[in-house]
Amino acid sequence: MMKLATMKMLLCSSLLVISVAAQAEGDAAKGKKNTVMCVGCHGIDGYRTAFPKVYNVPKIGGQHPAYLVQALQAYKTGARSHPSMWGIAQHLSKQDMEDLAAYYAGK
Amino acid sequence: MKSFLITVFSGMFLLISGQSLAGDIEAGKKKAAEVCAACHGLDGNSPNPAFPKLAGQYETYLEKTLIAYKTGERENAIMGSMAAALSKEDIENLSVYFSSQSGLATKK
Repeated sequence: MMKLATMKMLLCSSLLVISVAAQAEGDAAKGKKNTVMCVGCHGIDGYRTAFPKVYNVPKIGGQHPAYLVQALQAYKTGARSHPSMWGIAQHLSKQDMEDLAAYYAGK
Repeated sequence: MKSFLITVFSGMFLLISGQSLAGDIEAGKKKAAEVCAACHGLDGNSPNPAFPKLAGQYETYLEKTLIAYKTGERENAIMGSMAAALSKEDIENLSVYFSSQSGLATKK
C-alpha cells in the first residue's frame, strides 16, 4: 500500500516536472518580433545607463531562458525594482516573456 | 613650469595605475571557486537554468548587482547572504574575473 502511494507521488511529480518544462517553452520567432522594446538598451554593445548610477546594461544574449522569464516577472510585480524595466514588463504576458526569453537564449 | 609638468605626469600615472588595480582576475577566480562555482559554474556558465550565467557579463553590472545584494537594495535570500560576506575588493575581483570569461553576448 505504501509502495503504491509512493509510486503515485512519483508519477504526479514527474508529470508536474514535464508540464512545467513544456510551459517554459517559448517561440523564439515570435519573441524576435517583440524585441523593439529591448534593443534600445540591450542591443547596443557597451551601452551604459546614465542615471542614477552609471553602469553597463546587462548582456542577455545566451542567458538561461528560465532565468530571463523569472527576471521579467520580478520586474512586473515590482519584486525587482527598476523603473524602465518595470514599465516595459507591465505590457508583457507570461507567453510574451517566454517568447522573448527563447529568442535571447538562442545563439 | 617644471613642477607643473611633474604634477600632471604623476597625476596621469596615478590614474593609470589606479585603473589597473581595480580588480585582480586571479584573486577573483580563487574567490569564485570558493563561493560562486557551486551554483554559477566556475567560469560563470551556470549549469542550472534557475541561476543566471555570469560569464562575459559587464564588469560594471556585476559590481553594481553584488553591491545591491550586499546593501539589501536587491532582495534575494541566497545572494543576500553570499554578498554580505564579500568585501569591496572581493566584489571588484569577482566582477573582473567573470567579465573576462566567455559566455554571454549582446544580441540585436
